[in-house]
Amino acid sequence: MKPTTDLDFGERFYLREAVKGMGVIARHFWKNLLGFRDPNAEIMQRKGPGVNMVSTMNYPEERKAYPPGYRGMHRLVPRIDGKPRCVACYMCATACPAQCIYIEAGEYDDQAIEKYPVRFEIDELRCIVCGFCVEACPKDAIRMDTGTHAPAVLSRPLAVFDKEALLQGPAVEHPSDLMTYRVPLRTPSADPTAGPTSRGDVKDH
Amino acid sequence: MIAETPSARLASEDFGAKAGVKPSYGSWLFGTIAGWGAFLGFLLFISWFLLALTRLCIWVGDQIPLDWGLSPAIGTILALVLVLVMITATLLTMADRKWSALMQDRVGPNRARLSIIPGLKDRPLHGLPHILADVLKMLFKEDFIPEGAEKNKFLFNLAPLLAFAPAFMLFAVVPVSPELTFWGARMQLQVARVDWGILYVFALASVAVFGTALAGWTSNNKLALLGGLRASAQLVSYEVTLGLTLVGALIVFGSLRLDVMAQLQGMTEASIRTAAALANRSGDFLVHDDSVIFGWLPSWGIVFQPIGAILFLVAAQAEIKRAPFDTPEGESEIIGYFLEYSGLKSGLFLIAEYAETVVVAGIVTGIFLGGYHLPWVEPTIVRSADQWLGISGFSWLAVLQVFSFIVKMLFIIWVMFIARWAFPRFRYDQIMRLGWKMMLPVSLANVALTAFVYLWGGRDGLAIMGLLEWLAIFSFVALSSRPHLPEPAHEAHH
Ligand code: SF4
Ligand code: SF4
Repeated sequence: MKPTTDLDFGERFYLREAVKGMGVIARHFWKNLLGFRDPNAEIMQRKGPGVNMVSTMNYPEERKAYPPGYRGMHRLVPRIDGKPRCVACYMCATACPAQCIYIEAGEYDDQAIEKYPVRFEIDELRCIVCGFCVEACPKDAIRMDTGTHAPAVLSRPLAVFDKEALLQGPAVEHPSDLMTYRVPLRTPSADPTAGPTSRGDVKDH
Repeated sequence: MIAETPSARLASEDFGAKAGVKPSYGSWLFGTIAGWGAFLGFLLFISWFLLALTRLCIWVGDQIPLDWGLSPAIGTILALVLVLVMITATLLTMADRKWSALMQDRVGPNRARLSIIPGLKDRPLHGLPHILADVLKMLFKEDFIPEGAEKNKFLFNLAPLLAFAPAFMLFAVVPVSPELTFWGARMQLQVARVDWGILYVFALASVAVFGTALAGWTSNNKLALLGGLRASAQLVSYEVTLGLTLVGALIVFGSLRLDVMAQLQGMTEASIRTAAALANRSGDFLVHDDSVIFGWLPSWGIVFQPIGAILFLVAAQAEIKRAPFDTPEGESEIIGYFLEYSGLKSGLFLIAEYAETVVVAGIVTGIFLGGYHLPWVEPTIVRSADQWLGISGFSWLAVLQVFSFIVKMLFIIWVMFIARWAFPRFRYDQIMRLGWKMMLPVSLANVALTAFVYLWGGRDGLAIMGLLEWLAIFSFVALSSRPHLPEPAHEAHH
């Protein structure tokens, strides 16, 4: 009977291919056992003499940075004096399709800005991570640029993040801020590297 | 516009994960050397410990006024079965997963932690705590007996024991050391020095069939029964090859005793003593090992019986039902004979598999890999290590011989694991065809050829035959480039 494969005799005899296969496995074994582990998060960039072939990332201990532009956990952007930039205009809450933003407005007595949020809560479990709130905000006061995802929680109420939890990250200042403040804010003499960042202003290095 | 402004950075730069620690070749080198040193040191310690434990039992036996003569046997049982086989089998449950991970470019299990011990908080310890976690899991799982198996509960409970016990009993005839003097007592790390050593191996290997058949049958489950049938048929088929491959070794060594077989693959104690004494007189550092053939070739079974050794290893792999011969179990899709077992009974089946691996590796080492013998250097070790730290050269040699046995055994286990992950599982008809139509004729031919060559040329003739066989196998494997690529198919259309 004519064989239906195009394997040659040595391949059909199995022994040779079996030994070769075991050789491949053994090579991987020794290379991974003796090779050394490059912990570069970019697996494709792991290289160097003697680097093993294990491409696993031990997740909680080793993390890979999310790509830029990743819509992560929200944050309320602070002003340079540490108070939230938010003016409690409810635009984000209105735009939110999941209706997961809850705001209670309050009023400053002595500040350049009249309104501020007394309570600002986001239910991260209901959030669909659409980013509409960021688009809607007129004051660049809410961002999703933390580079982390919303953390896992042990019960549903814990997924509601309040103002204190959301207010984090580097302060942001826009040139146009001066026009809208009744009184100029006192600028703290921070070192320029830790200075405010924004999409609009030009920062000299 | 955003792209032009240099400060338009996105905050994932502010918040992003920290860059990985730059690798340091120094610490890697240190870790590798320290790890291997610790591993080999542990093996050396275990070798010494086995000898010392047996010696201790003999000493205890000497203190008891009754003259039972059982103390060496009890000591070797403790040392070999409870320490060597049990510890190796337990560690193999983990090594199997870690090694398979290494073979498949993974990390392997490393999530179990011993965080209750303060110094070990959040240390993966290379996955070793998983052994503890597995044992606890097995112990605390419900031991469930299905309704169908209630009627024959006794047989249902007997099956795991019948699968488990032979694996340990088999190690009774495996010689781990020669007969030697250790702390002034004659002893040997072998439980039973019996004239029917190999026959005992075959007999107990058949008992393992009862365990699997019984498990499949008493479970009262169609799938388990089919698994049991597959297992029984496979075990019975491969026992034939298993026996016939060892007939070749019987011809070579002329004995059924495994300790004699192992002894014949190196120098005896008496000839080492003579050689060392002669070298002492002439002042040579290197002492010639007179057991080597042609002056350089270790007289190991694998030299005389290459085909026998390979076939034995393959048949043994089938006999202990490990991949690629694991159709009886087929955990992932065709459910096997221990389908209805849970808890510790299922664990017994699992650990029996690893114990069988250890035992098979021990038998292969004893018969084909020179047993406990170190080639070329044995008399030199005795001569140069004599009275080092006040210990006689033969005691040093004894520890090193047990060490070499364990290393060879681990190597065989490693080869079996490599085979396990290199091959896909054979189909059932392929297993039967391989067993009956390929391995059985080849092993028969091997027996006939060995007998013929032995009558014609004695041991030297067998060594030449073995070398030629090795040459043939190596050249067949090495000349692996395909002579030509298959022609493109378009010619056929014209
Ligand atoms: S991302 Fe979308 S769903 Fe989430 S809070 Fe913002 S607007 Fe609502
Ligand atoms: S975060 Fe922005 S959109 Fe939402 S209330 Fe505050 S200022 Fe208005």
